[in-house]
Order: sequence, then C-alpha cells, then structure tokens
Amino acid sequence: MAHCKSFLAALLCSLPLVSLTCLGCHRAADSQALGHHDGPLENFRTGKAERGTGAASNSTEPKRLIMLTNGDDPFWDAMRAGMEDAEQDLKLTDAGLKVELDKNDNTPKGQIDKLTQYGNQTDIAAVAISSTDARSTQIADAMRALLQQGIEVVTIDSDVDRRAARDARFAYLGTDNIIGGRELGKAARALRPNGGNYAAFVGLKSAANAQERIQGFSEGAGEALQQLEYLGDEMDLSVAAKNVRDALDRNPKIDTLVGIWAYNAPAIASTVKERSIRAKTKVVVFDAHPGALLGMEEGLIDALVVQNPYEMGYQGVRLMKALVENDQATIAHLFPSWNATSGEFTRPDGDLRITGLKVVVPDENTPLKKDMFESSTEFLKLSDFKQWLAKYKLKGS
Amino acid sequence: MRQFRSEYGLLIAIVAVLAVTTIFNSAYLTKPGQNAAEILRQTSLLGIFALGAAIVIISGGIDLSSGAVIAFSGSICAEIFLALSPLDVRGSPDPSQLGAGVILAGITGALVVGFLIGTLHAWLITAIGLPPFVATLASLVGLRSLAKVLNQTVTAALGSQSIKIYVYDKDFTRLGGLGDLYGIEVFGIELGAWLIPCSIFLLLSLGFWFLMNRTVVGRHLYAMGGNEQAARLSGIRTERLKWLAYCIGAMTASLAGVLYTAEVGSADPLTIGRGYELNAIAAAVVGGCGLQGGIGLIPGVMLGVLFLRVVIDSVAKLVGSGADDYEGIIVGFLVVLAVAFNELRQTSRGGKKFFPGALGYVAIVALALLAGSVGLVMSGGVAGAVAGVVSVIVLGAVKFIESRRGP
Repeated sequence: MAHCKSFLAALLCSLPLVSLTCLGCHRAADSQALGHHDGPLENFRTGKAERGTGAASNSTEPKRLIMLTNGDDPFWDAMRAGMEDAEQDLKLTDAGLKVELDKNDNTPKGQIDKLTQYGNQTDIAAVAISSTDARSTQIADAMRALLQQGIEVVTIDSDVDRRAARDARFAYLGTDNIIGGRELGKAARALRPNGGNYAAFVGLKSAANAQERIQGFSEGAGEALQQLEYLGDEMDLSVAAKNVRDALDRNPKIDTLVGIWAYNAPAIASTVKERSIRAKTKVVVFDAHPGALLGMEEGLIDALVVQNPYEMGYQGVRLMKALVENDQATIAHLFPSWNATSGEFTRPDGDLRITGLKVVVPDENTPLKKDMFESSTEFLKLSDFKQWLAKYKLKGS
Repeated sequence: MRQFRSEYGLLIAIVAVLAVTTIFNSAYLTKPGQNAAEILRQTSLLGIFALGAAIVIISGGIDLSSGAVIAFSGSICAEIFLALSPLDVRGSPDPSQLGAGVILAGITGALVVGFLIGTLHAWLITAIGLPPFVATLASLVGLRSLAKVLNQTVTAALGSQSIKIYVYDKDFTRLGGLGDLYGIEVFGIELGAWLIPCSIFLLLSLGFWFLMNRTVVGRHLYAMGGNEQAARLSGIRTERLKWLAYCIGAMTASLAGVLYTAEVGSADPLTIGRGYELNAIAAAVVGGCGLQGGIGLIPGVMLGVLFLRVVIDSVAKLVGSGADDYEGIIVGFLVVLAVAFNELRQTSRGGKKFFPGALGYVAIVALALLAGSVGLVMSGGVAGAVAGVVSVIVLGAVKFIESRRGP
C-alpha cells in the first residue's frame, strides 16, 4: 500500500508537474502574448499596421532574426558574412534586433524541433529557413504555427513546395534553382558537344533546390548527355566520396561528373585525382566550396555555377527587418509586385526574389563563353572570382 | 519512502531547473501552456521506448537496437499505408486519406514487427548464446539498411522508387503530438494533439508499473536481473522472461517509431531515431536503473526522462541558437552524475577512495581540463580558466584528504 501511494504521488507529480507550475497560473499571460498578434496571417497578407508593431521595441532585450540552415557547410559562412554586414549597415542594434545563424542537423525532425522551440521563446521576431525537405507537411505546419504567433517567416536558399505550402512563408529569397541547374547543364553540354554520360551527386534528393537543379541540369544539358547515376548522400561527406567511386565503378562509360550541392565538388575532385581520370572526365559543379576552388586551381574542375549566399544573407536580414517593422517601402523594393494595400503579390511568382548567379571558369583556355549563358549570369575567370571573394573576406560562396 | 529517495531527488531537481530557467528567461511565464505541452510531448515520445529499455536493463540485459527499430517499424508502418491507401486519379497511392482501418493496420504491422524483432533477440541470446550486446548490435547495424532497401522496393512497385515514404494523412500525423486535437475544447481551452503521445506514455507507465510491482513475473524479472543463476536455480524460467523483456523493449520502440513517423510526416530510415538507443539508456540510468540489472523503478524512469527533457529545454532557452550543440555534453554529464550519485549512496560507508594513487592524479588533470573546456565554450577563456583552476583545487583537496586516511 505504501508503495502504491508513493508511486501515485510520483506519477501525479511527474508528468503534470510542468503543466501545474505553468499552465494554471499564467493562462492569461499566454492569451495576452498571442492576442498581441491577433490574426497574423490576415495581417501578413494585408500588410496592415498591426504587423510587427512593437516586436522590437517593447523590450530591452534585442529580438532575434534567425536564419535556420538545412545542415552544416562552408556555404553558410558566406551567408553569415552577409547577415553580419547587414546587421551593421542596417543598424539592427539600434532597432532592438540582432541576427543569428542556427544550423540544423540535416533532418526534417531537427527543423521541426527547432521551429517549435522558436515558437516557445519570447525573443524571436523572424525566421528565415532553408527547408530540409520541401515535401514535408510537418515542416510547413511548424512554419505556419510560427506565423500564427506573429513571428515572421521567409524561406531562403531552399523553398517549400510552392504548390502545397506557399502560405507557410511570406516569400522566397535565393537562387532560381531551375535556371541555376540549366546553366550548369549548358556548361556540361558545351564541354561535351558530342554528347556523353554523366553521374550527378547531391546531399538530400528530397530538398527543393536539389530537385529543381537536377531538373534544370537535364534541360540545359540536352538529350545528348545521358544520366547514368543520380546519388544522394544524406549529407554524409564520407558517403559523398563513396558515391562518386561507386558510380565510376558501376559505369565505366561515365565521362562527366556533376556536383549538385557545394560539398559534392571536393568529393568529385579528390576521386578524379585519385583515379587519374582527369583526361577523360569533365567536371561541373554548383557553388564555390573552398575545396572546389582548390580543385579548379589544380585543374580538376571545368566550371562552377556559383550562387550568392552573401547576398541571400544580406537581403534576407533586410527582408526580415522590414517585415518585423512593417516597412512596406522596403518590402515593395525587394518584391516589386507586392501590393501593400491588397496584401497580395500582383503577378505569379512575385513572391520570389532571385539572387544572382556566376559561372566561374579556370582561365581563358576554356570552351565556355559568356554568350552561352543567360545575360543576367556573370561570367568570370577564377582569378577574378577570387578577387570578389577577397573583397568580402570570404573563402567560398 | 527510502525506496523512492532518488525519485524525490529527481522531482526536486526538475523543479529547480524550471525555477532557474524561469529566473533567466521569460518564456515559461509568457508562453506557459505552449512550453509545458512541448516538454510533455517530447518527454512522452522518448519515454515510451525508454520504459522498454529500462525493463530490459532491470532484467539484466541491454538493448542497443531501439533507434534502428524505430526507423524500421516506422518504415513498415508507412509501407503498409502505401500498400493499402486509396489510389489518386493517376493511379498512384494517395497517403493523404488513409482511413482508420488502414492506420490501425499500419500500427498493428509495426507492433508485430517489434514483437518478432524482440523474439529474434531473445532467441539469439538464449538459444544461440550470443551476448545481448552483440545480438542487439546486429539489429542496430542491420535494420536501417533493411528498411532502406524495403522502402525502395515497395515504392518502386507502387510508383516511383524512393528511400523515404511520405504520409500526409492528418489523423495519422496527429499521433506525433503536433497540431490540434480535432478542435476539442475543455473549459474554453483548446486541447492539443500532444495529449495523444502523453496519454500513451501514461498508460504504458501504469501498465509496466503494474507488471513490475504487482505481478510474479515482475518480481522474477527483478530477481533475474539481480542474479540470473540464482533465479534459474530457484526454478524461474529465465528464457521466457528474457523473451518478454526483449519483446517489450522492441515493441515500445516500434510504437515510438510509429509516433516519430507521424511527427515528421515521413518514414526515413536514414534519419529517424538516429542515436536514440543511447538516449533511452541514458534516461533509464538517470531514472535510477542500474546497468548491472535488478535495480530501477518505473516512476524513476518517467522522472528521468522528464528531467532530461526539462534540462534540454532549459538549455535551449538559456543558450539560444545552437543550443543543440550542448545537448550531448549535458546528457553525458547527467548520466555520469546520476550513476556516480547512486554509486556514492551505496558505497559511502565503505571509505571508498575516488582518486587512488597515480590514477587519481591523472584523473584530476583530466577532470579539470574537461571543466575548463566546458567553461571555455560556454562563457569564454576567463570562465574556462576559473573552472579549471577551481576543479584542480577542489579535487586536489579531496585527494589530499583521502591520502591522509591511509590505504
């Protein structure tokens, strides 16, 4: 009997403990906190004055603008540099704001947990997320839950599924990955004018940017280039290198290697060097991972299609600050089709702001020429690109 | 009362952590209901399979396969959903409108798989004679790979080949505890879906407490964990008890696998439940279970899980972004602290030396460096130096006092 009483006491005290200490006493505080942002979704779309009012001003503690990545990679260092420069240039401290870059563990659950945790905090004003899994309804739901609590949400670098979850964020800011993939495909086609066989490598096949890039690559490369392998490594660097070796072992006909995510480049370059197959293999990759720059210097890589994470970070902070402060002029400047009165974007895909692309080649002895690519895409030699990196004190992009 | 001393200690520790967090961060006061619901939801998801791991540990075994079983059973559940779900206009399975029967079939399938995995473990241990560590290690290594291959085979047969299977059905995803509970209100407060995993956890806890404390089988499990040979010589059929313990361990992990799959809305054998086997063991140990077997109480395990989640949530509140980087340090520290605390309670009267001889000197250096490193990463170089120096002084003093006592 004594055991029974002790157990019941422990049982009653354990799980409901947290509820009892918090739930009963402060229900009013809860509703006040939520009530401050009544109907945020409506406000969000209409741009009415309630949006963001006081988010940064009513507390002595600075409110946080968070960039949540999908995983860890030097790619994000460039974005952090852009965020920190924006923090200085836009005088975020004076506005009662500060920026933070939070790195996810590559899993959808990691992002869901982090988004839920953000909602449970009081000092978060806005979140920009690079979605780990575009098709995850639970990530989209967690983003919607933040919106309902008055926390601004945008996507950067990798968007949600635009057919199903466009309402889960205000807008997307980053690369048009289909165009980016297409530029990479055009580079491969120019390097293999008579056609060939390629293997492509990526981290998470389920990520929106991965799906869009590989689709774009296929369009740009044309039918003469055949895909023999498309392998994902779940962001495990060891698997990334193994995938390249396995693909080459399985398919001796492969003559072109394609890196879809930043860290795939050094994995490809090291395997090409290790197997001494450079003479018969063309290599084109996305992004300028520090390892990719070294690979190009060593003559192992033919072309880089480089995004601009610095710009994503800078403009992302600018957008989050504008949303928090309800600065309609800046929002409209970033998204010209945004109509503050109606609270809608006036043209399809008006909620996408595309940051620039660069095609980087080793030197002038390349068959690639600027006129092969979109007019908006910059065309640079490696030496010029490294000067651009040095200007912003970056090691990669 | 003495039997529950560590449970009351855990309760006090939980209250202390909540109080300290509330002092330094306003989130618990500003969003109390939301924070409580999230802590309880996370506690329940971890607690469900930690209970199973605890029963295996109490019975004198160890189960390293929980994380892999979570991934495998979640995949089996999703595969059953795909196989039974209605077809969309293009003739592909549509996992957005499953229906109660299909959901029940998926969950039942996952639990049956858990039962079979537990049976396999018990067979390998009792009939073949493998150590529990090796038998369950094989599952840890193999099940994820098998789930990956099965998912690809099933999805290829039903449409497009994929390692990951998405499940969009709202009724199913509610089982993970996120979102609303069909809009049901009590006293004007809308209930959340977090009550679902929480209720399952409480029911399982009650059931396992009854099994362990009120049945002959429970007493035999404790007896076998305490001294297997003596139990066998007393006429206890230890093979059957091991079968029961490993089935409970695997089936609770299977149930957790279903709930985690519901939580993320997809079955991904590569990411779901990664490393969770150690979380379950850590929760059981913090809750008072002795890895030598025969020791541990169900309320203790419940409180151990709650304590771990409260501490992790507290760190998330106090550290902010990147708090998850510290999660491993904290859980590791708590596990060592809990085991050391239990050890101290049992041996304090024996005049045990903590820093004997040369080993003691090196251990003091290692502990001081550890304290310094933690201080450095959390608060900078000065805090690291202070933590290191203080550790050397305190531990050195303990060593000095011990050496005065003689051998």
